[in-house]
Amino acid sequence: MTLRLEDVTVVHGKGDAENRVLDGLDVEFASGGLTAVVGPSGSGKSTLLAVAGALLRPASGRVLLDGTDLAALNDAQRARIRRERIGYMFQSGNLLPNFTAVDQILTVAHLTGRRPGRHRARAEELLEAVGLAHRRGHRPEQLSGGERQRVALARALFLDPPLLLVDEPTAAVDRGQAGALTGLLVETAERQDCIVVVATHDPVVADAAGRVVDMARLTAMST
Amino acid sequence: MFLALRELRAAKGRFALMGCVVVLIAALVGIVSGFTTGLGDDTVSALRRLPATHIAFSGDARTDQFARSLVDSRTAAGWGAEKGVQATPMGVSITRGSTGRGVPVDLAAFGVDPGSFLAPRVESGAGLRPGGDGVVISRQIADDGVRVGDTIVIDRLGIRLPVLGVTGRSSYGHVPVGYMPLGTWQRIRFSVPGAAGAGAAPPGQYSAVALRAGGGAVLGAADERLGTRTLARDEAFAAAPGYSGERITMNSILLFLYLIAPLVVGAFFAVWTVQRQPELALLRALGAARRRLLAHTLVQAATVVVASTLVGAGLAAGAGLALGSAVPFSLPLTTLLGTVAAVTAAGLAGTALTLRRVTSADPLTMLGGNR
Ligand SMILES: Nc1ncnc2c1ncn2[C@@H]1O[C@H](COP(=O)(O)OP(=O)(O)O)[C@@H](O)[C@H]1O
Ligand SMILES: [Mg+2]
Repeated sequence: MTLRLEDVTVVHGKGDAENRVLDGLDVEFASGGLTAVVGPSGSGKSTLLAVAGALLRPASGRVLLDGTDLAALNDAQRARIRRERIGYMFQSGNLLPNFTAVDQILTVAHLTGRRPGRHRARAEELLEAVGLAHRRGHRPEQLSGGERQRVALARALFLDPPLLLVDEPTAAVDRGQAGALTGLLVETAERQDCIVVVATHDPVVADAAGRVVDMARLTAMST
Repeated sequence: MFLALRELRAAKGRFALMGCVVVLIAALVGIVSGFTTGLGDDTVSALRRLPATHIAFSGDARTDQFARSLVDSRTAAGWGAEKGVQATPMGVSITRGSTGRGVPVDLAAFGVDPGSFLAPRVESGAGLRPGGDGVVISRQIADDGVRVGDTIVIDRLGIRLPVLGVTGRSSYGHVPVGYMPLGTWQRIRFSVPGAAGAGAAPPGQYSAVALRAGGGAVLGAADERLGTRTLARDEAFAAAPGYSGERITMNSILLFLYLIAPLVVGAFFAVWTVQRQPELALLRALGAARRRLLAHTLVQAATVVVASTLVGAGLAAGAGLALGSAVPFSLPLTTLLGTVAAVTAAGLAGTALTLRRVTSADPLTMLGGNR
């Protein structure tokens, strides 16, 4: 299982507001352990994840997930890859308001054409794995920041995706919970046969990672 | 369905509010439709029942023809001589009287030749006789307490009309109809109050000539020659007092309701969709297909619009039952179903205005991080 970005360039904005963020970036990620992408704010960590997660199409270059070039797919095809092959945890706003923890997970079943009712047991199992079995009926506003991120993690793992992308997981989480969440991510990366890339500037996460990719050095090398 | 119904449940207050507005609009559309049909029946059901295809008025009468037009026997005979046309004169005027037992009667006097195709078919009692002075009353008059055997005395003129029989519901200009021989009608139409019984014989004139013409008959030439203006029976409805005005009033109310319905639903879903942009962006980021999000919004709209329209239609039907026959209200099932379909269509059309915003939610906003 590999993810390879070849000569990837992303241009945000147009005209005067044009902003070249990744400029001919080459980087490769593999499964078996957590990879942290670090770098100062604005260095392009989120952009890198978005390109890898088929959310953002680069201006040029290739994004190869197990041989498929995500950059060459059309909009509908990329949406399909996102829902079927990629787990994504955003920095915040991961959960649907008013939906219970179980329903957050079952939404993935719905989006991929499965009958949510048949997958309740699996959803509860995933919640138990992130330590939230007792919170299955709770809605986002009844959960702490760390608990919300754990629900998002459980949801991302619903289809056992080959690629899990995590953006600043500990940004909205208190210190105690940050450690627990990092532990869960490391455990996931080791247990599942899945590439786990975590963008972070939190040393707690970076220290726990098996491999650290520094945006400053990557972009320096490519220019 | 999974997302659509859960969101509906989560925002049930807002959806209920919008639903109430649609319920009221649908009820209003149903009630106005009921009055449109009911008032229309009340104005022209006597004309609708006429077994004629056309009505020839005098050429100088352009509006309110039944009141203004006068034709003579020569014109009627001239029409009768036309090839492929059956013709019989008719008289229409509105009068009032009371029975010997003191029941007041408003009466649209229809003068017909008892031997012609216009003679009313009776449901009870006997039909009109040539020569005599009897009247065949429509059911509404019987419902008001007038019976076969009573005598209606026309106010001020003192003309006495024995009630011979009862025919079905029939009214003209909101007044129930009494059918009588042409001679009797002419005495009512042309007599001067106070001179009753004494004066000269009334002129041999009628309101119009009822025609039965085959499909291919060309009536223009005869109109020219006889100095008449012929209208198809249904066009002649406009000649009844108040008919056009009523139609225009009721139909403009309906038109406005049909414009309001999609705007209300459209405005609601526009606000709802804008509020939901963050969730829609999240769903897109999670890989939701555009088609699925569209279906999900349409299911929500259809659920609310259809359910509310049905409730509203039920209210309109209930209002119809409660009003009974006291007011001119008529809401047959076909009209009711038409109402439901039209309000639903209008509501969903309103939703369609907002669908573009559903699919254009930008998943990249999820990267922002500070929500
Ligand atoms: N939609 C956008 N339009 C214009 N510029 C953007 C957009 N998104 C990000 N950028 C810019 O791209 C750069 C990298 O952003 P980002 O990938 O979010 O960095 P990080 O996650 O490391 O903080 C920043 O300078 C940011 O301002
Ligand atoms: Mg970022």
